[in-house]
Amino acid sequence: MKRNTDWFRAAALLVAGLCSAATASAQVTLEVMNPRGEIPPPKTLGISPRGGNLDGKKIVLIDNGKFGASNFLDALANMLKQKYPTATIVMYPKPAAQTITDLPKWYPTVKQQGDLFVFGVGD
Amino acid sequence: MPGLYFTTTEFLDDAKSAAKDRGMPEIRTLALPADKYYVGRASQQQLQPIADLFFDKMVDALTRPLTPEEAKPSQVQELHENALIKVSGRDFLDASERVNDLFLSNHWADGLPIVPPTPELVKAMEAGTTRSPKDVLAQVAPKSGTATVEKIAINAVMAGAKPEYFPVILAAMEGFTNKHYDLTHVQASTGSFTPVVLVDGPIAQELGFNSGIGMLGHGWRANSTVGRALRLALLNIGQTWPQVNDMALTGRLEAYTFYTFAEDTAKSPWEPYNVSQGFQVGDSTVTVSSSGNPVIFGGGAVAPWTAQGVIDQVVTQIRTRGVVWPHAQKHILVLHPDCAVELANHGYTRKSLQEYLYEQTRVPYEKLAKQVSFGQGTEEDFIRASIADGRIRPDRAQIFLDNLKPGGRVPVVQGPDDFHVVVAGGSPGYDLLFTYPGTNWAHQTVKITGATLTKAGE
Repeated sequence: MKRNTDWFRAAALLVAGLCSAATASAQVTLEVMNPRGEIPPPKTLGISPRGGNLDGKKIVLIDNGKFGASNFLDALANMLKQKYPTATIVMYPKPAAQTITDLPKWYPTVKQQGDLFVFGVGD
Repeated sequence: MPGLYFTTTEFLDDAKSAAKDRGMPEIRTLALPADKYYVGRASQQQLQPIADLFFDKMVDALTRPLTPEEAKPSQVQELHENALIKVSGRDFLDASERVNDLFLSNHWADGLPIVPPTPELVKAMEAGTTRSPKDVLAQVAPKSGTATVEKIAINAVMAGAKPEYFPVILAAMEGFTNKHYDLTHVQASTGSFTPVVLVDGPIAQELGFNSGIGMLGHGWRANSTVGRALRLALLNIGQTWPQVNDMALTGRLEAYTFYTFAEDTAKSPWEPYNVSQGFQVGDSTVTVSSSGNPVIFGGGAVAPWTAQGVIDQVVTQIRTRGVVWPHAQKHILVLHPDCAVELANHGYTRKSLQEYLYEQTRVPYEKLAKQVSFGQGTEEDFIRASIADGRIRPDRAQIFLDNLKPGGRVPVVQGPDDFHVVVAGGSPGYDLLFTYPGTNWAHQTVKITGATLTKAGE
Protein backbone atom coordinates (compact mmCIF):
# COMPACT_ATOMS: atom_id res chain seq x y z
CA MET A 1 0.00 0.00 0.00
CA LYS A 2 2.77 2.35 0.96
CA ARG A 3 4.51 1.48 -2.28
CA ASN A 4 1.38 2.46 -4.19
CA THR A 5 1.16 5.69 -2.25
CA ASP A 6 4.75 6.52 -3.07
CA TRP A 7 4.13 5.85 -6.73
CA PHE A 8 1.05 8.06 -6.67
CA ARG A 9 2.99 10.81 -4.95
CA ALA A 10 5.80 10.54 -7.49
CA ALA A 11 3.36 10.55 -10.39
CA ALA A 12 1.57 13.56 -9.01
CA LEU A 13 4.85 15.41 -8.60
CA LEU A 14 5.83 14.48 -12.15
CA VAL A 15 2.52 15.72 -13.59
CA ALA A 16 2.75 18.87 -11.54
CA GLY A 17 6.30 19.37 -12.71
CA LEU A 18 5.36 18.80 -16.32
CA CYS A 19 2.49 21.23 -16.05
CA SER A 20 4.79 23.78 -14.53
CA ALA A 21 7.36 23.20 -17.24
CA ALA A 22 4.69 23.41 -19.90
CA THR A 23 3.46 26.71 -18.49
CA ALA A 24 6.97 28.08 -18.35
CA SER A 25 7.86 26.98 -21.86
CA ALA A 26 4.62 28.40 -23.34
CA GLN A 27 5.13 31.87 -21.89
CA VAL A 28 5.50 34.09 -24.92
CA THR A 29 7.02 37.54 -25.12
CA LEU A 30 6.38 39.54 -28.25
CA GLU A 31 8.65 42.40 -29.19
CA VAL A 32 6.73 44.96 -31.21
CA MET A 33 7.56 48.28 -32.80
CA ASN A 34 5.95 51.63 -32.06
CA PRO A 35 3.81 52.85 -34.99
CA ARG A 36 3.76 56.51 -34.01
CA GLY A 37 5.57 59.25 -35.86
CA GLU A 38 8.05 61.20 -33.83
CA ILE A 39 7.23 64.85 -33.36
CA PRO A 40 9.87 67.48 -32.69
CA PRO A 41 8.24 69.55 -29.92
CA PRO A 42 7.86 73.28 -30.51
CA LYS A 43 9.52 75.77 -28.19
CA THR A 44 7.10 76.27 -25.32
CA LEU A 45 5.93 79.82 -24.67
CA GLY A 46 4.12 81.40 -21.75
CA ILE A 47 1.03 83.51 -22.19
CA SER A 48 0.98 87.29 -21.93
CA PRO A 49 0.91 88.83 -18.45
CA ARG A 50 -2.29 90.43 -17.28
CA GLY A 51 -3.73 92.10 -14.22
CA GLY A 52 -5.84 95.03 -13.03
CA ASN A 53 -9.27 95.44 -14.60
CA LEU A 54 -10.84 96.29 -17.92
CA ASP A 55 -11.46 99.97 -17.29
CA GLY A 56 -10.09 102.06 -20.12
CA LYS A 57 -8.90 99.04 -22.05
CA LYS A 58 -9.38 98.45 -25.73
CA ILE A 59 -10.88 94.96 -26.04
CA VAL A 60 -10.77 93.21 -29.41
CA LEU A 61 -13.53 90.67 -30.06
CA ILE A 62 -12.55 88.30 -32.85
CA ASP A 63 -15.32 86.46 -34.65
CA ASN A 64 -13.76 83.33 -36.11
CA GLY A 65 -16.39 83.21 -38.84
CA LYS A 66 -18.21 80.15 -37.61
CA PHE A 67 -21.98 80.43 -37.67
CA GLY A 68 -23.30 81.97 -34.45
CA ALA A 69 -20.00 83.31 -33.15
CA SER A 70 -21.00 86.88 -33.94
CA ASN A 71 -24.22 86.46 -31.94
CA PHE A 72 -22.28 85.34 -28.89
CA LEU A 73 -19.64 88.06 -29.21
CA ASP A 74 -22.30 90.72 -29.77
CA ALA A 75 -23.92 89.65 -26.50
CA LEU A 76 -20.58 89.94 -24.71
CA ALA A 77 -19.90 93.32 -26.34
CA ASN A 78 -23.16 94.74 -25.03
CA MET A 79 -22.39 93.52 -21.52
CA LEU A 80 -18.87 94.93 -21.65
CA LYS A 81 -20.17 98.34 -22.70
CA GLN A 82 -22.61 98.36 -19.80
CA LYS A 83 -20.22 97.17 -17.10
CA TYR A 84 -17.05 98.87 -18.35
CA PRO A 85 -18.22 102.12 -19.99
CA THR A 86 -14.69 103.44 -20.23
CA ALA A 87 -13.54 100.39 -22.19
CA THR A 88 -13.53 100.42 -25.99
CA ILE A 89 -14.88 97.42 -27.84
CA VAL A 90 -13.40 96.62 -31.25
CA MET A 91 -15.08 94.02 -33.44
CA TYR A 92 -12.34 92.52 -35.60
CA PRO A 93 -13.56 89.44 -37.51
CA LYS A 94 -10.99 86.90 -38.62
CA PRO A 95 -11.08 86.35 -42.36
CA ALA A 96 -12.38 82.88 -43.10
CA ALA A 97 -9.61 80.47 -44.04
CA GLN A 98 -11.37 80.13 -47.36
CA THR A 99 -10.97 83.81 -48.15
CA ILE A 100 -7.36 84.44 -47.34
CA THR A 101 -4.25 82.79 -48.67
CA ASP A 102 -1.89 83.63 -45.86
CA LEU A 103 -3.75 83.57 -42.57
CA PRO A 104 -0.58 83.45 -40.43
CA LYS A 105 0.20 86.97 -41.62
CA TRP A 106 -3.20 88.17 -40.41
CA TYR A 107 -2.78 87.16 -36.77
CA PRO A 108 -0.14 89.77 -35.90
CA THR A 109 -2.55 92.49 -37.05
CA VAL A 110 -4.71 91.75 -34.00
CA LYS A 111 -2.14 93.36 -31.76
CA GLN A 112 -2.57 96.66 -33.53
CA GLN A 113 -6.28 96.72 -32.71
CA GLY A 114 -6.20 96.94 -28.92
CA ASP A 115 -4.96 95.77 -25.53
CA LEU A 116 -6.77 92.44 -25.01
CA PHE A 117 -8.51 89.96 -27.25
CA VAL A 118 -11.34 87.47 -27.00
CA PHE A 119 -11.52 84.83 -29.74
CA GLY A 120 -14.51 82.62 -30.42
CA VAL A 121 -16.22 80.38 -30.90
CA GLY A 122 -14.28 77.34 -31.92
CA ASP A 123 -15.64 75.23 -33.35
CA MET B 1 -1.26 90.44 -25.92
CA PRO B 2 -3.49 88.99 -23.20
CA GLY B 3 -6.29 86.95 -24.61
CA LEU B 4 -8.94 84.34 -24.14
CA TYR B 5 -10.19 81.59 -26.42
CA PHE B 6 -13.80 80.47 -26.35
CA THR B 7 -14.57 76.96 -27.47
CA THR B 8 -17.27 74.44 -26.62
CA THR B 9 -17.11 71.48 -24.28
CA GLU B 10 -16.92 69.02 -27.18
CA PHE B 11 -13.91 70.84 -28.63
CA LEU B 12 -12.02 71.56 -25.42
CA ASP B 13 -9.61 68.64 -25.85
CA ASP B 14 -9.08 69.65 -29.47
CA ALA B 15 -8.32 73.23 -28.42
CA LYS B 16 -5.88 72.13 -25.72
CA SER B 17 -4.19 69.71 -28.09
CA ALA B 18 -3.77 72.42 -30.73
CA ALA B 19 -2.44 74.90 -28.15
CA LYS B 20 0.13 72.38 -26.98
CA ASP B 21 1.13 71.57 -30.57
CA ARG B 22 1.84 75.25 -31.15
CA GLY B 23 3.86 75.68 -28.00
CA MET B 24 1.31 77.50 -25.85
CA PRO B 25 -0.16 74.83 -23.59
CA GLU B 26 -1.38 77.29 -20.97
CA ILE B 27 -3.54 79.48 -23.20
CA ARG B 28 -6.68 80.41 -21.29
CA THR B 29 -9.73 78.71 -22.69
CA LEU B 30 -13.38 78.71 -21.71
CA ALA B 31 -15.69 75.96 -22.95
CA LEU B 32 -19.32 76.83 -23.59
CA PRO B 33 -21.80 73.99 -23.03
CA ALA B 34 -22.06 72.33 -26.44
CA ASP B 35 -25.58 71.04 -25.88
CA LYS B 36 -26.83 74.60 -25.36
CA TYR B 37 -24.52 76.62 -27.61
CA TYR B 38 -25.14 74.91 -30.96
CA VAL B 39 -28.91 74.90 -30.68
CA GLY B 40 -28.97 78.48 -29.45
CA ARG B 41 -26.47 80.14 -31.72
CA ALA B 42 -29.03 81.18 -34.31
CA SER B 43 -29.71 84.37 -32.37
CA GLN B 44 -28.10 86.64 -29.83
CA GLN B 45 -31.23 86.39 -27.72
CA GLN B 46 -30.92 82.64 -27.41
CA LEU B 47 -27.24 82.92 -26.52
CA GLN B 48 -27.73 85.61 -23.88
CA PRO B 49 -28.10 83.14 -20.98
CA ILE B 50 -24.77 81.56 -21.92
CA ALA B 51 -23.15 85.00 -22.23
CA ASP B 52 -24.54 85.85 -18.76
CA LEU B 53 -23.08 82.65 -17.37
CA PHE B 54 -19.62 83.19 -18.85
CA PHE B 55 -19.20 86.97 -18.60
CA ASP B 56 -17.52 87.02 -15.18
CA LYS B 57 -15.35 84.05 -16.15
CA MET B 58 -14.23 85.95 -19.25
CA VAL B 59 -13.33 89.04 -17.22
CA ASP B 60 -11.43 86.86 -14.78
CA ALA B 61 -9.50 85.12 -17.54
CA LEU B 62 -8.53 88.47 -19.06
CA THR B 63 -7.39 90.06 -15.80
CA ARG B 64 -6.25 87.39 -13.33
CA PRO B 65 -2.46 87.45 -12.85
CA LEU B 66 -0.59 84.50 -14.30
CA THR B 67 0.52 81.50 -12.33
CA PRO B 68 4.23 80.65 -12.61
CA GLU B 69 3.40 77.74 -14.93
CA GLU B 70 1.32 79.98 -17.20
CA ALA B 71 4.14 82.53 -17.33
CA LYS B 72 6.85 80.00 -18.00
CA PRO B 73 5.48 76.56 -18.79
CA SER B 74 7.72 73.53 -18.77
CA GLN B 75 9.29 72.80 -22.12
CA VAL B 76 7.40 69.97 -23.82
CA GLN B 77 9.84 67.11 -24.12
CA GLU B 78 10.22 65.08 -27.26
CA LEU B 79 8.71 61.64 -26.93
CA HIS B 80 10.98 59.03 -28.40
CA GLU B 81 8.79 56.54 -30.16
CA ASN B 82 11.41 54.11 -31.37
CA ALA B 83 11.99 51.76 -28.45
CA LEU B 84 10.90 48.15 -28.85
CA ILE B 85 7.94 47.25 -26.68
CA LYS B 86 7.87 43.88 -24.93
CA VAL B 87 4.51 42.28 -24.23
CA SER B 88 4.23 38.89 -22.53
CA GLY B 89 1.36 36.41 -22.40
CA ARG B 90 0.76 32.84 -21.38
CA ASP B 91 0.91 31.84 -25.07
CA PHE B 92 1.05 33.53 -28.45
CA LEU B 93 -2.66 34.26 -28.61
CA ASP B 94 -2.66 35.79 -25.15
CA ALA B 95 0.40 37.92 -25.93
CA SER B 96 -1.15 39.02 -29.20
CA GLU B 97 -4.35 39.99 -27.41
CA ARG B 98 -2.32 42.01 -24.94
CA VAL B 99 -0.56 43.81 -27.79
CA ASN B 100 -3.96 44.67 -29.22
CA ASP B 101 -5.20 45.96 -25.87
CA LEU B 102 -2.05 48.03 -25.39
CA PHE B 103 -2.13 49.56 -28.85
CA LEU B 104 -5.80 50.46 -28.68
CA SER B 105 -5.49 51.95 -25.19
CA ASN B 106 -2.56 54.03 -26.49
CA HIS B 107 -4.69 55.21 -29.45
CA TRP B 108 -2.36 53.37 -31.86
CA ALA B 109 -4.99 51.19 -33.51
CA ASP B 110 -8.35 51.51 -35.22
CA GLY B 111 -10.48 49.19 -33.08
CA LEU B 112 -10.15 46.12 -35.26
CA PRO B 113 -7.54 43.50 -34.36
CA ILE B 114 -4.07 44.31 -35.62
CA VAL B 115 -1.15 42.11 -36.56
CA PRO B 116 1.55 42.66 -33.89
CA PRO B 117 4.31 44.59 -35.70
CA THR B 118 7.34 42.54 -34.75
CA PRO B 119 10.73 43.60 -36.13
CA GLU B 120 10.78 40.48 -38.31
CA LEU B 121 7.46 41.28 -39.96
CA VAL B 122 8.41 44.94 -40.38
CA LYS B 123 11.67 43.95 -42.02
CA ALA B 124 9.78 41.67 -44.38
CA MET B 125 7.46 44.56 -45.24
CA GLU B 126 10.43 46.83 -45.91
CA ALA B 127 11.78 44.26 -48.34
CA GLY B 128 8.94 45.22 -50.67
CA THR B 129 10.71 48.46 -51.57
CA THR B 130 14.17 49.56 -52.56
CA ARG B 131 13.86 52.52 -50.21
CA SER B 132 15.84 52.65 -47.01
CA PRO B 133 13.85 52.20 -43.77
CA LYS B 134 15.25 55.45 -42.45
CA ASP B 135 14.21 57.51 -45.48
CA VAL B 136 11.95 60.36 -44.42
CA LEU B 137 8.97 60.88 -46.72
CA ALA B 138 7.40 63.86 -45.03
CA GLN B 139 5.80 65.29 -41.92
CA VAL B 140 2.22 64.13 -41.45
CA ALA B 141 -0.52 66.57 -40.40
CA PRO B 142 -1.97 67.59 -38.08
CA LYS B 143 0.85 67.14 -35.56
CA SER B 144 3.69 66.93 -38.07
CA GLY B 145 4.81 63.44 -37.13
CA THR B 146 7.79 62.23 -39.10
CA ALA B 147 6.91 59.59 -41.68
CA THR B 148 9.86 57.32 -42.30
CA VAL B 149 9.67 54.26 -44.51
CA GLU B 150 10.01 52.18 -41.35
CA LYS B 151 7.11 53.86 -39.54
CA ILE B 152 4.87 53.35 -42.56
CA ALA B 153 5.99 49.70 -42.73
CA ILE B 154 5.01 49.18 -39.08
CA ASN B 155 1.52 50.44 -39.82
CA ALA B 156 1.31 48.34 -42.98
CA VAL B 157 2.13 45.22 -40.95
CA MET B 158 -0.53 46.11 -38.40
CA ALA B 159 -3.07 46.43 -41.22
CA GLY B 160 -2.31 42.98 -42.58
CA ALA B 161 -0.83 44.20 -45.85
CA LYS B 162 1.54 42.04 -47.89
CA PRO B 163 5.07 43.30 -48.57
CA GLU B 164 4.33 43.52 -52.30
CA TYR B 165 1.67 46.15 -51.54
CA PHE B 166 4.17 48.35 -49.74
CA PRO B 167 5.27 50.51 -52.70
CA VAL B 168 1.60 51.41 -53.31
CA ILE B 169 1.25 52.44 -49.68
CA LEU B 170 4.42 54.54 -49.81
CA ALA B 171 3.32 56.31 -52.97
CA ALA B 172 -0.07 57.04 -51.45
CA MET B 173 1.60 58.49 -48.36
CA GLU B 174 3.65 60.73 -50.62
CA GLY B 175 0.41 61.97 -52.13
CA PHE B 176 -1.28 62.56 -48.77
CA THR B 177 1.69 64.54 -47.52
CA ASN B 178 2.19 66.62 -50.65
CA LYS B 179 2.00 70.29 -49.73
CA HIS B 180 -0.91 70.71 -52.15
CA TYR B 181 -2.99 68.04 -50.39
CA ASP B 182 -4.94 69.61 -47.54
CA LEU B 183 -4.31 66.78 -45.09
CA THR B 184 -5.05 68.75 -41.93
CA HIS B 185 -8.56 69.45 -43.18
CA VAL B 186 -9.12 65.88 -44.30
CA GLN B 187 -7.77 64.41 -41.06
CA ALA B 188 -9.41 66.74 -38.57
CA SER B 189 -12.45 68.51 -39.99
CA THR B 190 -15.94 68.12 -38.61
CA GLY B 191 -16.97 67.58 -42.24
CA SER B 192 -16.13 63.87 -41.93
CA PHE B 193 -14.40 63.46 -45.28
CA THR B 194 -13.15 60.11 -46.49
CA PRO B 195 -9.94 59.74 -48.50
CA VAL B 196 -10.21 58.19 -51.94
CA VAL B 197 -7.36 55.88 -53.01
CA LEU B 198 -7.31 54.94 -56.70
CA VAL B 199 -4.71 52.48 -57.98
CA ASP B 200 -4.05 52.62 -61.68
CA GLY B 201 -1.83 50.81 -64.17
CA PRO B 202 -0.50 47.25 -64.38
CA ILE B 203 0.34 46.91 -60.70
CA ALA B 204 -3.37 46.95 -59.87
CA GLN B 205 -3.98 43.68 -61.67
CA GLU B 206 -0.70 42.15 -60.53
CA LEU B 207 -1.60 42.75 -56.89
CA GLY B 208 -5.20 41.61 -57.29
CA PHE B 209 -7.03 44.87 -56.65
CA ASN B 210 -10.75 44.66 -57.26
CA SER B 211 -12.07 47.08 -59.86
CA GLY B 212 -15.33 45.26 -60.60
CA ILE B 213 -18.51 44.45 -58.68
CA GLY B 214 -17.98 45.29 -55.02
CA MET B 215 -14.92 47.41 -55.72
CA LEU B 216 -15.46 49.55 -52.62
CA GLY B 217 -16.34 46.59 -50.45
CA HIS B 218 -14.63 43.83 -48.58
CA GLY B 219 -13.16 40.59 -49.84
CA TRP B 220 -10.02 41.69 -51.65
CA ARG B 221 -6.94 41.83 -49.49
CA ALA B 222 -5.19 44.44 -51.64
CA ASN B 223 -8.09 46.91 -51.49
CA SER B 224 -8.76 46.29 -47.82
CA THR B 225 -5.27 46.29 -46.39
CA VAL B 226 -3.74 49.04 -48.52
CA GLY B 227 -6.59 51.28 -47.41
CA ARG B 228 -6.26 50.16 -43.81
CA ALA B 229 -2.49 50.64 -43.82
CA LEU B 230 -3.06 54.23 -44.92
CA ARG B 231 -5.75 54.68 -42.27
CA LEU B 232 -3.37 53.50 -39.57
CA ALA B 233 -0.35 55.40 -40.89
CA LEU B 234 -2.25 58.70 -41.00
CA LEU B 235 -3.69 58.03 -37.53
CA ASN B 236 -0.40 57.08 -35.94
CA ILE B 237 2.15 59.22 -37.72
CA GLY B 238 -0.06 62.33 -37.86
CA GLN B 239 -1.28 61.46 -34.35
CA THR B 240 -5.01 61.92 -34.53
CA TRP B 241 -7.80 60.47 -32.45
CA PRO B 242 -11.57 60.86 -32.59
CA GLN B 243 -13.03 63.40 -30.15
CA VAL B 244 -9.52 64.74 -29.46
CA ASN B 245 -8.19 66.22 -32.68
CA ASP B 246 -10.07 64.22 -35.31
CA MET B 247 -13.45 65.90 -35.05
CA ALA B 248 -15.21 64.17 -37.97
CA LEU B 249 -18.69 64.40 -36.55
CA THR B 250 -20.06 61.21 -38.06
CA GLY B 251 -16.73 59.49 -38.47
CA ARG B 252 -15.97 58.40 -42.01
CA LEU B 253 -18.23 56.23 -44.13
CA GLU B 254 -15.27 54.00 -45.01
CA ALA B 255 -13.56 54.46 -41.66
CA TYR B 256 -11.20 51.49 -41.77
CA THR B 257 -10.15 51.16 -45.40
CA PHE B 258 -11.08 54.44 -47.06
CA TYR B 259 -12.50 54.32 -50.63
CA THR B 260 -9.72 52.13 -52.05
CA PHE B 261 -10.17 50.63 -55.50
CA ALA B 262 -8.51 50.25 -58.88
CA GLU B 263 -9.37 51.46 -62.35
CA ASP B 264 -10.45 48.80 -64.82
CA THR B 265 -8.13 49.80 -67.62
CA ALA B 266 -8.91 46.65 -69.61
CA LYS B 267 -12.58 47.52 -69.96
CA SER B 268 -12.14 51.26 -70.31
CA PRO B 269 -12.67 52.65 -73.81
CA TRP B 270 -10.20 55.39 -73.04
CA GLU B 271 -6.55 55.65 -72.06
CA PRO B 272 -5.82 54.91 -68.39
CA TYR B 273 -6.77 57.68 -66.02
CA ASN B 274 -3.17 58.28 -65.03
CA VAL B 275 -2.28 59.11 -68.65
CA SER B 276 -4.72 62.00 -68.41
CA GLN B 277 -2.64 63.15 -65.43
CA GLY B 278 0.57 63.24 -67.45
CA PHE B 279 1.92 59.73 -66.87
CA GLN B 280 2.93 57.20 -69.50
CA VAL B 281 0.93 54.18 -70.61
CA GLY B 282 2.26 51.32 -68.49
CA ASP B 283 3.03 53.47 -65.47
CA SER B 284 1.53 52.36 -62.20
CA THR B 285 0.22 55.15 -60.02
CA VAL B 286 -1.88 55.82 -56.99
CA THR B 287 -4.17 58.79 -56.76
CA VAL B 288 -5.22 60.08 -53.38
CA SER B 289 -8.16 62.38 -53.11
CA SER B 290 -10.95 63.01 -50.65
CA SER B 291 -14.70 62.98 -50.70
CA GLY B 292 -17.84 63.80 -48.85
CA ASN B 293 -20.62 61.29 -49.25
CA PRO B 294 -20.44 59.87 -52.78
CA VAL B 295 -23.55 60.00 -54.94
CA ILE B 296 -24.69 57.03 -57.01
CA PHE B 297 -26.23 57.34 -60.48
CA GLY B 298 -27.64 54.96 -63.08
CA GLY B 299 -29.94 52.01 -62.93
CA GLY B 300 -27.64 49.23 -61.84
CA ALA B 301 -29.36 45.87 -62.16
CA VAL B 302 -32.84 47.13 -61.42
CA ALA B 303 -33.69 49.96 -63.79
CA PRO B 304 -32.95 50.99 -67.35
CA TRP B 305 -30.42 53.72 -67.93
CA THR B 306 -28.76 55.55 -70.77
CA ALA B 307 -25.26 56.91 -70.73
CA GLN B 308 -26.44 60.40 -71.59
CA GLY B 309 -29.06 60.11 -68.87
CA VAL B 310 -26.36 59.31 -66.34
CA ILE B 311 -24.32 62.32 -67.39
CA ASP B 312 -27.40 64.53 -67.23
CA GLN B 313 -28.02 63.32 -63.67
CA VAL B 314 -24.43 64.12 -62.75
CA VAL B 315 -24.77 67.61 -64.23
CA THR B 316 -27.99 68.22 -62.31
CA GLN B 317 -26.37 67.05 -59.09
CA ILE B 318 -23.42 69.38 -59.46
CA ARG B 319 -25.45 72.36 -60.65
CA THR B 320 -27.85 71.94 -57.75
CA ARG B 321 -24.92 72.09 -55.41
CA GLY B 322 -23.95 75.34 -57.09
CA VAL B 323 -20.73 77.32 -57.10
CA VAL B 324 -18.89 76.37 -53.95
CA TRP B 325 -15.23 77.28 -53.70
CA PRO B 326 -14.52 76.93 -57.42
CA HIS B 327 -10.82 77.58 -56.84
CA ALA B 328 -10.48 74.21 -55.10
CA GLN B 329 -13.37 72.03 -56.19
CA LYS B 330 -12.69 68.70 -57.88
CA HIS B 331 -15.00 65.87 -58.85
CA ILE B 332 -14.12 62.24 -59.48
CA LEU B 333 -16.67 60.57 -61.73
CA VAL B 334 -16.35 56.79 -61.67
CA LEU B 335 -18.19 55.33 -64.64
CA HIS B 336 -18.92 51.63 -64.78
CA PRO B 337 -17.46 50.10 -67.95
CA ASP B 338 -20.75 49.70 -69.85
CA CYS B 339 -21.57 53.36 -69.34
CA ALA B 340 -18.09 54.45 -70.40
CA VAL B 341 -18.28 52.31 -73.54
CA GLU B 342 -21.70 53.72 -74.38
CA LEU B 343 -20.36 57.24 -74.02
CA ALA B 344 -17.40 56.37 -76.23
CA ASN B 345 -19.78 54.91 -78.82
CA HIS B 346 -21.56 58.26 -78.82
CA GLY B 347 -18.27 59.94 -79.58
CA TYR B 348 -17.13 61.04 -76.18
CA THR B 349 -13.47 60.97 -75.36
CA ARG B 350 -12.41 61.50 -71.77
CA LYS B 351 -11.40 65.04 -72.68
CA SER B 352 -14.61 65.89 -74.49
CA LEU B 353 -16.61 64.48 -71.58
CA GLN B 354 -14.67 66.69 -69.18
CA GLU B 355 -15.38 69.70 -71.36
CA TYR B 356 -19.06 68.78 -71.57
CA LEU B 357 -19.31 68.50 -67.79
CA TYR B 358 -17.48 71.79 -67.35
CA GLU B 359 -19.82 73.64 -69.69
CA GLN B 360 -23.07 72.07 -68.55
CA THR B 361 -22.48 72.52 -64.84
CA ARG B 362 -21.91 76.26 -65.04
CA VAL B 363 -24.34 78.15 -62.83
CA PRO B 364 -26.29 81.28 -63.77
CA TYR B 365 -24.80 84.40 -62.23
CA GLU B 366 -28.19 85.22 -60.71
CA LYS B 367 -28.01 82.02 -58.64
CA LEU B 368 -24.78 82.88 -56.86
CA ALA B 369 -25.33 82.99 -53.11
CA LYS B 370 -25.82 86.40 -51.60
CA GLN B 371 -24.16 85.28 -48.39
CA VAL B 372 -21.36 82.75 -48.22
CA SER B 373 -21.76 80.13 -45.55
CA PHE B 374 -18.33 80.58 -43.97
CA GLY B 375 -17.92 84.27 -43.30
CA GLN B 376 -18.73 87.64 -44.67
CA GLY B 377 -19.71 88.73 -48.16
CA THR B 378 -21.35 87.28 -51.24
CA GLU B 379 -20.22 84.43 -53.41
CA GLU B 380 -19.28 86.94 -56.10
CA ASP B 381 -17.07 88.76 -53.57
CA PHE B 382 -15.40 85.49 -52.73
CA ILE B 383 -14.76 84.56 -56.38
CA ARG B 384 -13.32 88.01 -57.09
CA ALA B 385 -11.08 87.69 -54.02
CA SER B 386 -9.94 84.28 -55.23
CA ILE B 387 -9.00 85.80 -58.57
CA ALA B 388 -7.23 88.72 -56.91
CA ASP B 389 -5.07 86.53 -54.67
CA GLY B 390 -4.27 84.04 -57.43
CA ARG B 391 -6.11 81.00 -56.14
CA ILE B 392 -8.10 81.05 -59.35
CA ARG B 393 -5.34 80.70 -61.92
CA PRO B 394 -4.61 83.71 -64.10
CA ASP B 395 -5.31 81.68 -67.25
CA ARG B 396 -8.82 80.86 -65.95
CA ALA B 397 -9.59 84.18 -64.27
CA GLN B 398 -10.96 85.95 -67.32
CA ILE B 399 -13.66 83.31 -67.83
CA PHE B 400 -14.93 83.99 -64.32
CA LEU B 401 -14.69 87.77 -64.72
CA ASP B 402 -16.56 87.65 -68.03
CA ASN B 403 -19.40 85.77 -66.36
CA LEU B 404 -19.74 87.69 -63.11
CA LYS B 405 -22.56 89.78 -64.51
CA PRO B 406 -26.26 89.31 -65.26
CA GLY B 407 -26.72 86.61 -67.86
CA GLY B 408 -23.32 85.10 -67.10
CA ARG B 409 -22.74 81.40 -66.43
CA VAL B 410 -20.16 80.88 -63.71
CA PRO B 411 -17.98 77.73 -63.73
CA VAL B 412 -18.13 75.48 -60.65
CA VAL B 413 -14.49 74.47 -61.09
CA GLN B 414 -11.44 76.18 -62.50
CA GLY B 415 -11.35 74.12 -65.66
CA PRO B 416 -12.42 70.88 -67.39
CA ASP B 417 -9.42 69.05 -65.88
CA ASP B 418 -11.06 69.33 -62.48
CA PHE B 419 -13.50 66.63 -63.56
CA HIS B 420 -11.57 63.39 -63.12
CA VAL B 421 -13.13 60.56 -65.11
CA VAL B 422 -12.29 56.99 -64.07
CA VAL B 423 -13.65 53.65 -65.27
CA ALA B 424 -14.42 50.97 -62.66
CA GLY B 425 -17.32 48.86 -61.48
CA GLY B 426 -19.32 45.86 -62.56
CA SER B 427 -21.63 44.94 -65.37
CA PRO B 428 -24.28 45.82 -64.44
CA GLY B 429 -22.96 48.69 -62.44
CA TYR B 430 -23.63 52.05 -60.96
CA ASP B 431 -21.77 55.28 -61.52
CA LEU B 432 -20.29 57.22 -58.65
CA LEU B 433 -19.46 60.84 -58.04
CA PHE B 434 -16.91 61.72 -55.39
CA THR B 435 -16.75 65.40 -54.49
CA TYR B 436 -14.43 66.98 -51.99
CA PRO B 437 -16.16 70.03 -50.57
CA GLY B 438 -12.93 71.32 -49.12
CA THR B 439 -11.36 74.67 -49.50
CA ASN B 440 -7.93 73.66 -50.66
CA TRP B 441 -6.74 71.05 -53.05
CA ALA B 442 -6.81 67.44 -51.96
CA HIS B 443 -5.98 65.44 -55.05
CA GLN B 444 -2.59 64.01 -55.99
CA THR B 445 -1.40 61.30 -58.35
CA VAL B 446 1.95 59.69 -57.57
CA LYS B 447 3.95 57.18 -59.59
CA ILE B 448 4.63 53.89 -57.82
CA THR B 449 8.32 53.12 -57.83
CA GLY B 450 10.89 51.04 -56.01
CA ALA B 451 8.91 47.79 -56.04
CA THR B 452 11.03 44.69 -55.51
CA LEU B 453 8.36 42.00 -55.46
CA THR B 454 6.27 42.89 -58.50
CA LYS B 455 7.03 43.37 -62.18
CA ALA B 456 5.17 46.66 -62.23
CA GLY B 457 6.18 49.63 -60.13
CA GLU B 458 9.92 49.01 -60.23
